[in-house]
Amino acid sequence: MDGIELEILWSNLISIVSEQAKALQRIAFSPIVREAGDLASALFDEKGRMVAQATTGTPGHINSLAAAGLTLAARFANRLVEGDVLITNDPWISAGHFFDITVFSPIFMDARIIGYMGSTIHHTDIGGYGIGAGARDVHEEGLWIPPCKLYEAGVANTLLHDIVRTNVRTPDHVFGDLAAQVSSGRTGGERLVAFCRRNKLADIAELSEQVISRSEAATRKSISLLPAGTWHGESRFDVPGGTIITLKAAVTVDPEKGDITIDFAGSSGASAAGINVVMNYTHAYSTFAIRSCLNPDLPNNFGSLAPIHVVAPEGSIVNAAYPSPLNARHVVGMFVPMPILKALHQIIPDRVLAEGSGAVWTVQIQGRRTDGTPYTSSMFNYSGGMGARANKPGPSAVCYPTGVAAVPIEILEAAMPIVFDRRELREGSGGRGRMRGGEGQVIGFHMRTDQPWLLNAVPSRLDEGPEGIGGGEAGAAGRFLVNGRNVSEGRKLTMQPNDRVVFETPGGGGYGKET
Amino acid sequence: MQPTWSIAVDIGGTFTDVVLRHSDGTLFVDKTLTTHEDLLEGFFRGVHLALGRAGIKPTDLNGSVVHATTIVTNALIERKGSTTALLVTEGFRDVLSIRNEHRYEMFDPQIEFAEPLIPRALTFGIHERTLADASIETSVDPEEIRRLAAVLIEKGVVSVAVCLLNSYRNSTNERAVAAALKAAAPALHVTLSSDVAPQIREYPRASTTAINAYTVPITAPYLDGLARRLTAEGVANRPLIMLSSGGVIGAVVASRNPVRMIESGPAAGALAASWYAELLGLDRLMSFDMGGTTAKACLIENRRPLVTGSFEVDRVWRFTEGSGMPLTIPSVDMIEIGAGGGSIASQDNLGLLKVGPRSAGSNPGPACYGRGGQNPTVTDADLLLGLLDAENFLGGDMQLDLPAAQATMDRLGRELGTDRDTTARGIYRIVAETMAAAARTHATDRGVDYRGLPLLAFGGAGPVHACAVGELLQSAQVIFPPQASVLSAFGTLVTPVRLDLVRSAVGRLEALNWNDVDSVFNAMIAEGHAALDEAGINRSDVTLEFGADLRYFGQQNEVTIEFADPRPARDWRRIGGVFEAAYHAQYGVNPSHVPVEIVSWRLTARGRDVSVAGAALAEPVEAPIRSRYIAVWETDTPVYQRSALTPGLGIPGPAIIEERETTIVIPPAWHAISEANGCIIATPKEA
Repeated sequence: MDGIELEILWSNLISIVSEQAKALQRIAFSPIVREAGDLASALFDEKGRMVAQATTGTPGHINSLAAAGLTLAARFANRLVEGDVLITNDPWISAGHFFDITVFSPIFMDARIIGYMGSTIHHTDIGGYGIGAGARDVHEEGLWIPPCKLYEAGVANTLLHDIVRTNVRTPDHVFGDLAAQVSSGRTGGERLVAFCRRNKLADIAELSEQVISRSEAATRKSISLLPAGTWHGESRFDVPGGTIITLKAAVTVDPEKGDITIDFAGSSGASAAGINVVMNYTHAYSTFAIRSCLNPDLPNNFGSLAPIHVVAPEGSIVNAAYPSPLNARHVVGMFVPMPILKALHQIIPDRVLAEGSGAVWTVQIQGRRTDGTPYTSSMFNYSGGMGARANKPGPSAVCYPTGVAAVPIEILEAAMPIVFDRRELREGSGGRGRMRGGEGQVIGFHMRTDQPWLLNAVPSRLDEGPEGIGGGEAGAAGRFLVNGRNVSEGRKLTMQPNDRVVFETPGGGGYGKET
Repeated sequence: MQPTWSIAVDIGGTFTDVVLRHSDGTLFVDKTLTTHEDLLEGFFRGVHLALGRAGIKPTDLNGSVVHATTIVTNALIERKGSTTALLVTEGFRDVLSIRNEHRYEMFDPQIEFAEPLIPRALTFGIHERTLADASIETSVDPEEIRRLAAVLIEKGVVSVAVCLLNSYRNSTNERAVAAALKAAAPALHVTLSSDVAPQIREYPRASTTAINAYTVPITAPYLDGLARRLTAEGVANRPLIMLSSGGVIGAVVASRNPVRMIESGPAAGALAASWYAELLGLDRLMSFDMGGTTAKACLIENRRPLVTGSFEVDRVWRFTEGSGMPLTIPSVDMIEIGAGGGSIASQDNLGLLKVGPRSAGSNPGPACYGRGGQNPTVTDADLLLGLLDAENFLGGDMQLDLPAAQATMDRLGRELGTDRDTTARGIYRIVAETMAAAARTHATDRGVDYRGLPLLAFGGAGPVHACAVGELLQSAQVIFPPQASVLSAFGTLVTPVRLDLVRSAVGRLEALNWNDVDSVFNAMIAEGHAALDEAGINRSDVTLEFGADLRYFGQQNEVTIEFADPRPARDWRRIGGVFEAAYHAQYGVNPSHVPVEIVSWRLTARGRDVSVAGAALAEPVEAPIRSRYIAVWETDTPVYQRSALTPGLGIPGPAIIEERETTIVIPPAWHAISEANGCIIATPKEA
């Protein structure tokens, strides 16, 4: 296959998944899916290797879906018939917590499986503890759906439907979103079959081999230009409750084979809180960190991910073991790239960025209006500053590695009796340096109510600000204030009617010595 | 009826297009270079040329004078606006810098964002507060505004944007600010967010308001000068201005709302497409406008272009969505694809042939322009494949440099390990794939099944590539209208006077407060009538169309519906019924147990439709049918002159049909017919 023919066929595969991702996002009920595009949609070959993926979502989802595809295709080999649809939310098989449900549909052509369409989306509810890190083990966190058939030969698995319906708090929304996933899998499959017939392909085996081998070769080639050796990076940050987490990454480059191995040995052990990260999710953010610095233009697929290996001690906070609680795994997971960036700084300083605020601060509020009617907000979030780049300052109020949008103030004020006092950049919070880190934000609010209310806020980096790199200074640490007093609590807080809350999100680290 | 002459002028980045139309459908067109120093110079030169062709004087222009212009977009991209200040609620000064916090490109940590239009040093917090329930917690202190006005004057500010929290619900505080500013500094231009974009979401509303304030000092004198010169030339009617929503409106209303004029030229192209849908009796089609740097596509449904509530200008990072400034005003919903005649072909690091989004533009342009362009482009490929004629480009006015195109294509071919023809054929196919893929995603995002949709092709490169794109989209037909190179200007002439208004109204449908509904619609109706009065439309000719955006509670995407005036019946179930039916038509299911939420009300005030009398066809001229080798399908192919085609003539593919500004390509699997209405329509042979 030459570079012209392959480009035409390959771009068609990407077009199929992009179209399905748009369809999913359009009809999703889950606010985080629509507002932040927190979904993944991908096409797999008959071996379960990810061939093409839509450019949406967060690294945690898309790279975890790649892993789920391999597992599901292997586990159900020779047990699938036309019309089957697989489902699971197993955290260790897919994206690391129960909220993320993966739907995986075989694509048949002439009575033979030629590939799979898969999608993962963050659902509105999954029963159990709900949003937050407070469950004591994974079982308290909600409904666990092992890999199984949601549809068998086109017929709905009614028992499974009943189990889901009776175990989630928002069955209408969950089933609406599941229906969207099933339908996008079916349409994507139809598009792939039509594509094959139009191009007179019996299957996509050869095409997939080309896509994967070229992507893998290009990745290995860019790795081969790096020096051989092992580089170390370490990142420390505090999580709600004040615990300090340490992540250590040893990045070993083998330019001859074109391999990179990241080893998290020496990182913190499991946490009692629901912030433990499964291997898939650690792998997802690790490969993301490497790819975003090394070759961000390359498409994401099995081949471009294959040369990057990730290992972590079993039972550590970045390789969670059963039955560790996992619900708020993003609180730690979003810091996974930081030690890797520090290691890479020693070999490709121009392409890395300094530490930033890491995880977005998430907030949920519950209470009663003055007339007594209850309200529960959906989860909303705020970013700190991004770390400085080698030749550009860090953007303010933007997060890396995630980058989800914030809900507008007016939307929040319309949905519940919250009144914002302030939302401005936190001047001087970005770390100084040759390039400055991005500024964090100051967000202040109170509630218009005469009733006590519950605040479930998950801040991070309250003790130490994000470090600078190459002589750049650290960004300012975050501050979480109630009535002017510092708070460091990992649990839901009961608030009084007149309490005023202020979040000061961290600034990004600076890059290089200030001259 | 008295015969009337109407004229349209569309000022684009390179050319100023003029279309003069007689009420019997006769058209006279002209194209002249855009005069960037003084746009009106090119405007009137083009007008005089067209009038000269028809042999009439300016005083004979007794119909409408319609204008579309890029002046606002240019001012934004070049940051040529005046010194502008932003006034916001105290505590929220960084609304333009914080944006929506979205890192719009996941993998690339080097991305950049558009610089805020108004810097922090010119952003001022005001002690005031309106709450989400529309109550005023803190009123504006006029004394504070008076003191601020002095500061603004001292800083050389000429225009002020005011965007206060929750002003979409209650504009009292914004109006108080405006009144105090006007009293203290009467010369200041003042734009209120509650006037230009009264919709929930503070960042896009502030961005829209800032853009309006930034450009209003430019457009006001420009449109004023236009009106005065037209009067001086003896033109009877006041000019009408094309809006991005696809309506046209009087110059006075337009000059207060420059933000509504952005992208008005492309919007006019979509309007022309819907006029052809009407003429041809097609309910739906997709317009496909391919020019030098980009291609634009727009869906026409029920013979009208789809309209969106928001878009972006000045995308600073590789045209990526999220890297520009958002606008929340009604706009024709178009997708712009980085694929045009000047798009550069190259080999990427995976060994794949890529086309665009980098473009050689018009200077130096494609290698075959002979102006020093070193990179092979789509136009070079078209030339080498035989689709374009080196001797006959722009009617022979521009000689193309074939050897230059060959040399650059040979070089790319060597990189790819193949020959010149294979490379050029690859470019021809890949550019079609790129456009088809973008069109598919755009349609799916809007819940539209693109398969079978007819394409309407225009722009310099559109007719060359339309059938190739149509094959990939399974289009039932591809339509090549006459005067394709000035279709946008033509579109403005066949558009009724129209203003589209939107107001936020978040709430459950079954819990509507009908007194609020009355006052929202009454305000919009008054605004619509005032604007149409100014455009010279009789009240008896004004039609009001009522609509709303609704969704199921918990969803993000709204469905826009239309219905009869809801105020007399006051029955939310009627609106709900229309919504449920429209939702079902789009998605095939109704989650009927979920409550319905209303997001905004819409009102369109429009004048009478313009008749669809087609252009009278010129008599076919005598021209020989030549033949040339076309490397796409590797065979000698007949070459027709469009001006020589007789109505009803069937042209089996493969065939080439040349006109002055473009070339129509009919591949072997297609069959074309020259219609009596002037269109050429190609259909797949097997269909």
